[in-house]
Amino acid sequence: MTHVVTANCQACRFTDCVTVCPVACFHGDEERLYIDPDVCVDCSACIPACPVGAIKEEFDLSGDEEEWIQINAEKASDLPVIRSKQPPLPTADARRSELGLN
Amino acid sequence: MNAEIDTGIVRGACPHDCPDTCAFEYHVKGGKLVEVTGDKNHPMTQGRLCVKLKDFASHHYNPDRILTPLKRVGPKGSRQFEPITWDEALSTIRDKWNGIIAEYGGQAIMPHAYLGHQGTLNGLTSGDAFFNRLGSTVAEKTYCESGSSTAWIMTVGPSGGLDIESFVHAKYIIVWGMNMTSTNIHGWPFIVKAQEAGAKVVVIDPVRTRTAKAADWHVQINPGTDGALALGMMNVIIAEDLVDHDYVEKYTLGYEELKERAALFTPERVSGITGIPADDIITLAREYATTPPAAIREGVAIERSRGGGQAIRAITCLPALIGAWRHVGGGAMEMPIWEFPTNFDRICRPDWIRPGTRVVNELDLGAALTGELQLDPPIKSLFVYNSNPMSQAPAQAKIAKGLEREDLFTVVSELFITDTAKYADIILPSAMQGEQLDVMVTWGHLYISLNQPAISPPPDCVPNVEMFRRLAKAMAFNDDYWDRSDWEMLQDFYDWDSPALEGITLETLKETGWARINVGLPHERKPHAEGNFKTPSGKCEFKSSVTANFVVPVWRSMYEDMQPGEPIDPLPDYIAPHESRETNPELAKRFPLSIVSPKAHAFLNSQYANEAPKQKRQGEQTVFMHPDDAAARQIVTGSTVRVFNERGHFDGRAEIVDALMPGLVMANLGHWPSFTKSGTAVNSISSDAHCGMGMAGSYSDNLVQVEHVAA
Ligand code: SF4
Ligand code: SF4
Ligand code: SF4
Repeated sequence: MTHVVTANCQACRFTDCVTVCPVACFHGDEERLYIDPDVCVDCSACIPACPVGAIKEEFDLSGDEEEWIQINAEKASDLPVIRSKQPPLPTADARRSELGLN
Repeated sequence: MNAEIDTGIVRGACPHDCPDTCAFEYHVKGGKLVEVTGDKNHPMTQGRLCVKLKDFASHHYNPDRILTPLKRVGPKGSRQFEPITWDEALSTIRDKWNGIIAEYGGQAIMPHAYLGHQGTLNGLTSGDAFFNRLGSTVAEKTYCESGSSTAWIMTVGPSGGLDIESFVHAKYIIVWGMNMTSTNIHGWPFIVKAQEAGAKVVVIDPVRTRTAKAADWHVQINPGTDGALALGMMNVIIAEDLVDHDYVEKYTLGYEELKERAALFTPERVSGITGIPADDIITLAREYATTPPAAIREGVAIERSRGGGQAIRAITCLPALIGAWRHVGGGAMEMPIWEFPTNFDRICRPDWIRPGTRVVNELDLGAALTGELQLDPPIKSLFVYNSNPMSQAPAQAKIAKGLEREDLFTVVSELFITDTAKYADIILPSAMQGEQLDVMVTWGHLYISLNQPAISPPPDCVPNVEMFRRLAKAMAFNDDYWDRSDWEMLQDFYDWDSPALEGITLETLKETGWARINVGLPHERKPHAEGNFKTPSGKCEFKSSVTANFVVPVWRSMYEDMQPGEPIDPLPDYIAPHESRETNPELAKRFPLSIVSPKAHAFLNSQYANEAPKQKRQGEQTVFMHPDDAAARQIVTGSTVRVFNERGHFDGRAEIVDALMPGLVMANLGHWPSFTKSGTAVNSISSDAHCGMGMAGSYSDNLVQVEHVAA
């Protein structure tokens, strides 16, 4: 089992998620974050921390979200660990509004 | 004590046998528990719970929960029960017990309990006063940490040791035999933080666990050989003169003898025992001795083999040898439970134990029930609470045989009909943590916490403390012990006037939920910078003044007599496993593989292993094997395999992983036998032999064979 970062994280980088993770299992690039499935301990602490509801536990994914399992695994293994809160991308606020979360 | 609010937040704490003892916030809406979250302000909890407890609220409403007392109406083990009233349950127990006492004496009754709940009122010691008063056999509860505690206390005394929060200040950290990301997840971030600040993190484990993968260095060791590694490290430290002579001279006892002993453990010899290259042993010793502050987290796994106690002894000597205790963040951590001023004598009432009362170890349950121990009088009644021996105790088949005895009167207090409860004659329904008051016992940090009831229990479900009140009344005990309220008992069960609790009262805990006890702050605490060991000599005893095996009284109802007593070497030594290819080649011809059975990630021992979301997260009973061992048996990932030895067998799904060393298999503990393919689980193959200290179990000291079976 693991947790995965799904589509909502696209173009968002509030990174509240990483500050609560006990095992530093978030990896990321300029665009967004991914969870390393070999490191995640399934505590779900990141789920309420994400302001756009991007993180889900594997078995809560809907059918068309399941592709994110593989994407997270692949991307996480290539990208560096993100350990502390990053400055939000300039697009962050717009992204929140777009998702109706502002 | 019932819940006082209808809607709002109530403070609590996790009930489980886990070193984290998380601070809870119970979210209550209209008298219903809707969510349980971790307290954001608690320095250890930091707002998180874990995979096991993140949906704790719904646990309280599990439809399988036992809601009334039950009596057996079918054959033993058939799970056929009928609801009865508390009055009927109590009078049945009373009549049965009075009959047994008249015919065989009180010692024919044996309690069986462990840490299914970790509270002061409802936990490990919750039934001790009752059973001492009843005159039952004293049950020695050595499921976990008992071997470590005997060894730790022999070496440094009942010290809290290094605070987990102080690990952030360490520069060299050894996590020894512990998969912290599964079993101490709230301790792990302090190590991650130290690592970010440049500390080197070493994990010593036979398995490349998730924790080992996160380390800077994984030292893979043959199970049961940790003592040899610690002595090998000493050998190097002494030979290369990396010893803190000033510290050793002032604050330790028996250095010359230790030096002689360590001289026998050259890196080459230790390499042959542990499977670790000699160069790595030398590097580990050098780095450990020269990178202050150096911290060791001692895992419980170390004790689970014949030489486990001596291994903890050796490991616990290391910090004094290099003067690690001088520094904030230096030293070793076993468990800090010893810092809490708990009045165990008042809880357990050992003064009620009749002189000469016998002790039976709980891990010998099968042998006790089947007559193998030749007990006189035999055990005629068993009372099980806070435990599920059919999953957690060794020699599963023997226990089942014992529990099937028609003449055994078994009472089980439970939340669910477990594989143990299914054998009961009477089942008593327990309350859950959200429904009861307690001060939690803590073995992984230095905060005392109060769990307050958030909701009322179902009408017939009672906390253990109330169950024993009712039993005491039924047995016509008129001692005022059972006249006190829960609150009054908690007042009496701690030394609230002690310096450790200065400024902390039950009343303040009602507001704050938890408080750090006054034993030094994490960034200052150096408990043994100047010795102050709580041993008879006041020093770290390389050579112990204790020479006979004992179980720390808290695991035996505070009873001091009838200790195991066999001689133990006062110097740390390496004691080879009971069962390994090297020590028992005859047995290894038939059963060539060693097995370890660590705790499951998604279960808490056997708790939650009956709940679908947890089963989904944990997966079915799996047998992990090295590719070489699998190939030799035509086993592939997904094969159904049988793991067996002379004691029993269990089946599981094979998973082939190179995280194990060749010759080692792993299967997680906790799966309920009734939910596995074979109706048995990993403890069916576990031996009921003990570790050489503190009567701990030898769960990681077993040889097995594995074969492919038709699915
Ligand atoms: S579930 Fe826990 S371990 Fe996994 S990514 Fe979220 S916070 Fe980290
Ligand atoms: S908090 Fe949510 S949206 Fe922001 S980076 Fe983390 S996963 Fe993405
Ligand atoms: S089981 Fe351990 S980690 Fe999980 S909530 Fe309880 S104390 Fe915390």
